[in-house]
Amino acid sequence: MDEAKTSSLEECRAILAAHHKRESLRAVLIHICLIACCVACIYPVLRILAVSLRPGDRIISTDLALIPAGATFVSYLRVFRETNFLIWLWNSLVITCVTSVIGVSLASTAGYAFSRFRFPGSKLGLTLLLGTQMIPAAMLLLPLFLMIMRLGLTNTYLGMIISYSVTSLPFSIWILKGYYDTIPRSLEEAALVDGTSRFGAFWRIVLPLSTPALSIAFLFNFTQAWNEYLVARVVLTDSFRYTWTLGLFELQGQYLTQWGMFAAASLMVTAPVLLVFLYSSKWLISGLTLGGVKG
Amino acid sequence: MASVTLRNIVKDFNDNRVLDNVTLGIADREFLVLVGPSGCGKSTLLRILAGLEDATGGETFIDGTLVNHLPPRSREIAMVFQDYALYPHMTVAENMSFGLRLRRMPKPEIEARVREAAGILQIEKLLERTPKQLSGGQRQRVAIGRAIVRKPKVFLFDEPLSNLDAKLREEMRVEIAKLHQRLHSTIVYVTHDQVEAMTLASRIAVIQGGTLQQVGTPEQVFSRPENVFVAGFIGSPTMNFVAGTLSPEGTGLCFANDAMKVALPAGLLETPPAAPLPVILGVRPESLRPAGDGPAGRQGIPAEVDVVELLGHRKNVHLLAGGTKLLMVVDAAFSPRAGESLQVSFDAAALHFFDRTTTKRLR
Repeated sequence: MDEAKTSSLEECRAILAAHHKRESLRAVLIHICLIACCVACIYPVLRILAVSLRPGDRIISTDLALIPAGATFVSYLRVFRETNFLIWLWNSLVITCVTSVIGVSLASTAGYAFSRFRFPGSKLGLTLLLGTQMIPAAMLLLPLFLMIMRLGLTNTYLGMIISYSVTSLPFSIWILKGYYDTIPRSLEEAALVDGTSRFGAFWRIVLPLSTPALSIAFLFNFTQAWNEYLVARVVLTDSFRYTWTLGLFELQGQYLTQWGMFAAASLMVTAPVLLVFLYSSKWLISGLTLGGVKG
Repeated sequence: MASVTLRNIVKDFNDNRVLDNVTLGIADREFLVLVGPSGCGKSTLLRILAGLEDATGGETFIDGTLVNHLPPRSREIAMVFQDYALYPHMTVAENMSFGLRLRRMPKPEIEARVREAAGILQIEKLLERTPKQLSGGQRQRVAIGRAIVRKPKVFLFDEPLSNLDAKLREEMRVEIAKLHQRLHSTIVYVTHDQVEAMTLASRIAVIQGGTLQQVGTPEQVFSRPENVFVAGFIGSPTMNFVAGTLSPEGTGLCFANDAMKVALPAGLLETPPAAPLPVILGVRPESLRPAGDGPAGRQGIPAEVDVVELLGHRKNVHLLAGGTKLLMVVDAAFSPRAGESLQVSFDAAALHFFDRTTTKRLR
């Protein structure tokens, strides 16, 4: 009897050990894949960093060192001294920030209307908004340019802000509408009974509970506007109105490209996006609505 | 505090009429319970009173003022929701003071009111917590506290206990009863639980299919139900119904169907039928007794025991009398066996008669 018990116990241990081994192997494989993906993402950035640090006579080199021999910040200094980099950066910042604020403001209210009210054309409107996302950006270029031109808004911040806001709006509306749908209506009804208006309930209850979705929408608007090139190329012709994406291409000559400056400027323009990401991450919290209603 | 009048309220959702000409008066300081099965329109009626829903027709008065076109915030009401509806991003104290802050009440007064309400509901220690740190019962107390601090004209409760477990529900029921005694407030309380209705209400309004079936004190709706629906809905276990014919017989009456024939005294009805009348006889399970158990002269119906359920202090005995199912509630000491034949008796005064066509009570 005891022998039978011991052998079945050993069998169980063997099965558990085999299961543990399989799980460990699986974890190792997953980590290898994830590390490979990370390397694939980070390596080009590190190459750009290496190029930006190279002295001018060693730009074209097969050296793979991350910190090249004779590393220097000359390219960074030259970007500030010899180009309108700060002006491009300022232009990009103004256009991107205003676009993001306008985009999120419009999307938050439009998303709320689509989420909470039934009105003629609400379903069709949502479908059409989604439909606009299927159209390639290049196809919108000509009509957008014609509209901006007829409005007399070429070479203006306003022209760029309008172009970027409207193109990002549908996606932001969908994100926010989806999030509002998860917020129980009874919370707003409680606020209405407590003494708010409909807008007050939206402002004091729904918006504070929607910060994760608002952050996502803001980040989406920000990165879209920050990295955009095609529309800027068409709408902006004055070098003093250039955004950094256009400015960077100024460094590309017909016969000679300043790769060091190009790489240095490319790295510097990532800083605002990184800062916005870091700041927004604190708002990307799950479970904000927990506890409010019976789950 | 204030009186409430709902006059000819009609509510349609597309082509579906959920409230049909409901007229109801609620007196100042009254505890009125709207009770009915799920989907009967009781919550819709409460939401119309709160201003969260527009009535298709009819008028709503609070304290004599027509409030049809007033938004909820202008109606001086407070509402406790079924799912608590606490603001998750605010602490308990902030939740409770939200309405007062909106009204720009002085800070010291807000604090005093919150402390007072928290004291009544014994949640003083929870004031700095957020809703997700509370249990279901504590959340419901906070929701009630949020209503109390406002000192509204009318309190509206929309099935506030239905998300709580049985024990907690019992505790909270007592708390709400005490609250009404303490605040002497006008309360409109919606529930589908007839025990809540019977224990809490000054008056009960039974609603079904969007129409009011009966409005009366708990005693009235229990002992003199206006129709078959009310008779079946109020009381647990539910009333036994037997279809048959009521005819004059000698100086008295006779109720008969294929399975039974029972002689009854003439005084049971104010206007006894002159000819055989198709009726539904209603008798509460606790009014049925094994024959011989009780005063002499009770009628006996032969029946067979189908199932016996022990509920601790009592037993539910399911019987088959001919083709008719009957439920009898007896003392736990009585031990019939399934399949056993016995005689069932009842007190004639405990019988209810309803017209089989209209399902209304015969008087």
